[in-house]
Amino acid sequence: MTRWLKENLWRHITGVVMCLFALFPLYLVVLSSFNESGSLQVSSFYPKDISFANYQVLFNDERIPYLTWMKNSLIISGFVAMTSVIIGAASAFAFSRLKFQGKRFGIQLLLLIQMFPAILALSALYVIMERVYKFAPGLGIGTQAGLILVYLGGAMGVNIWLLKGFVDSIPAELDEAAKIDGASAMQTYWQIFVPLAAPVLAVVSLLSFIGTFNEFILARLFLIEVETRTVAVGLQQFIGGQFSENWGPFAAGSIIASIPIVVIFLSLQKYIVSGLTAGSVKG
Amino acid sequence: MLSGLIRGKVALFIKIALVALSTAVLLTLSQSAFAKGEYVIAGFLFIVILLINYTYFSKRTVPLKFFLPGIILLAAFVLTPILYTLVMSTYNYKTGNYISKEEALSRIQALALEPDANASAFDIVVGEFQSTPAILVSDINNNSYFISTPKEKIALDATKVEIDEYQVAQSAEGFTALESGDISSSAAAKKRYFFDGTYFIVVENLNVGAVFRQSLEYLPEQDVFRSLITGDIYRDNNNGNYVNENNQDDFLEPGWRDPSWLTNYIRLFNDERVRDPLISVFIWTVVFATLTVLTQFAFGLLLALALNKPIRGRRIYRSILVLPYAMPSVMSILIWGGMFNTEFGAINEILGRDIAWFQDPTFARVAVILVNLWLGFPYFYLVSSGSLQAIPSELLEAAAIDGANPRQIFRKVTLPLLLQILSPLLIASFAFNFNNFNLIYLLTGGGPRNQLDGEIAGATDILISYTYQIAFGNNLQDLGLASAISVLIFFLVASISLYGVRKSKVLESFS
Repeated sequence: MTRWLKENLWRHITGVVMCLFALFPLYLVVLSSFNESGSLQVSSFYPKDISFANYQVLFNDERIPYLTWMKNSLIISGFVAMTSVIIGAASAFAFSRLKFQGKRFGIQLLLLIQMFPAILALSALYVIMERVYKFAPGLGIGTQAGLILVYLGGAMGVNIWLLKGFVDSIPAELDEAAKIDGASAMQTYWQIFVPLAAPVLAVVSLLSFIGTFNEFILARLFLIEVETRTVAVGLQQFIGGQFSENWGPFAAGSIIASIPIVVIFLSLQKYIVSGLTAGSVKG
Repeated sequence: MLSGLIRGKVALFIKIALVALSTAVLLTLSQSAFAKGEYVIAGFLFIVILLINYTYFSKRTVPLKFFLPGIILLAAFVLTPILYTLVMSTYNYKTGNYISKEEALSRIQALALEPDANASAFDIVVGEFQSTPAILVSDINNNSYFISTPKEKIALDATKVEIDEYQVAQSAEGFTALESGDISSSAAAKKRYFFDGTYFIVVENLNVGAVFRQSLEYLPEQDVFRSLITGDIYRDNNNGNYVNENNQDDFLEPGWRDPSWLTNYIRLFNDERVRDPLISVFIWTVVFATLTVLTQFAFGLLLALALNKPIRGRRIYRSILVLPYAMPSVMSILIWGGMFNTEFGAINEILGRDIAWFQDPTFARVAVILVNLWLGFPYFYLVSSGSLQAIPSELLEAAAIDGANPRQIFRKVTLPLLLQILSPLLIASFAFNFNNFNLIYLLTGGGPRNQLDGEIAGATDILISYTYQIAFGNNLQDLGLASAISVLIFFLVASISLYGVRKSKVLESFS
């Protein structure tokens, strides 16, 4: 017994303390989402009277198109995740498997432009998309299509880089065999590589989904109309002043918005960690 | 064989259809861009069309077939903005100097209005007369009515106009009024209407026109403005403004963006109003990133060590511990912001204090580090426990046989190995936190800052949020200076990351 204490007690103490630290804000959010008072307070550590008023506000209040925001977020993130991985996978394949001039330069350039902080190109992006708006109002500033295009551009660097790491780890024997059998690069790509890499592509697209779902600054800059906003922007404005500090509905809203992300994350934990160690940090 | 052939045909058909479709869409866009005078964008789109068609119909461009869509997106939305930022950093691009010189010229002329001695204003109706834009003016004080077009003034007989109860003319023969909804956007509202030759009438709003005369005259041969009132000459100062020859402080609004070459960069080092805040922000950025990485790594490693043994409940611990990392960070940061609220926040409530967390520089900094610890320790827990398992157990056993106690084994064997494995990730994390805009922006907004003194840099501002404040903040917006700082940050982060890459030797496989 004492031996057990000596060996394992500190482990459990560390674990419990850190778990409490990790859970504290989350528990508080859950608590205040069921509390009508509208602040992030701990009036008691257990819910006294559970009220669903905050959730009802989200779904019924006309000033808060929460469902539309959620839909916008899911559509934008989903589209970006799928498209950027389809496009990125082709580039990653070429970087990983094809031989051509300037490959090393290309990879270095990719690394380099990835280091330019995207936020700092914000003003330039704004000016460009403002000009696009002049001749194509459906694509320029203020539109979701424009935002998606910008996201796709931004996702390229990270995704090609991440995918390349994964592709490198897929044994090359198979596609070399296909090459010997006379398959062209395109055939190798579609018939050997894509089926083999499908799980990896799925993981990277989910990572991309999470990243886009989390994006805030560009979305806020681009989406001016309340109805076009994403859930992150919508909820931020919600406590930012427009409705004064209204934590109850915010808490309810962020819980609902977080559930899909947390579920994706927990179920893919293993892959995500290996993907992250391959060279990127979640934003 | 046959199925392969069919599939080949189908693939070819899909390819042609896709190329044709994207060509058609891009061509339409390119044309409308050209029509609106956006020649650069039109040209870019046209080159893209050529590239697409060449790449997918030629046999020689195999790698490019894979790269092209990615390259186009990168070029349009990553590379171009970066280059644009570089160019902006050599301009005096700031509040008051946003527009091009041509726009500034016409704006200065439009704004150079001098009211007449009595600041006369009339009730008007905007409309058309003999199919030219015109206004129907009611000079109530003199009981006179007239129609004014840009070229002439047509006096009306007071008895022949329809007036309302305020003696304002509503309609006259030959005059058609515009719908009030159309006026503000119509060209008619921007015209100058004839009054007496020197003075003219400008539409102030829906139904008021005021009498002005031109106060400045542009002399294109000399590229100067001459004041029609005092005769002063305003000359281009080569820094985006027309400045009065006799008085350096008197310049015309608005200015325009003008190349200022390295001025913005020189300001970073020479102008103390720019340099001093920049230095203190830079120091805090480094401190913040270092402390963040250290605390996150320390707690992550501690947990990894504690849970490195199959103790009871390890899986539960693990699932709970990754939750902060799995939550969308925007939400978590905002939630923490609420918890630090002075009056209603949970943290003060638990501590039983009234700490104004975000009003005091030290407390605000502590809060920022604490929140970032919460956000990031699970990541280091995950990667450290992975790396712990990657350390060969023979090494540890050998050390134990040599008589090392657990503490010695950890300090002399485990930790150095771990640091070696994780150093690229530590560097990457440092680089990421160096630019952790979301955290600062959403938690403290960079504050507290002394806004009364016009201070832009707040106590928790890191370089990137400071730059954002300079470019888009509430005070004077200076895109040129912000771009110059952006370029500086780029070099800093690029050197940190390149150092990290070299450490992890990622590039080795291509050499």
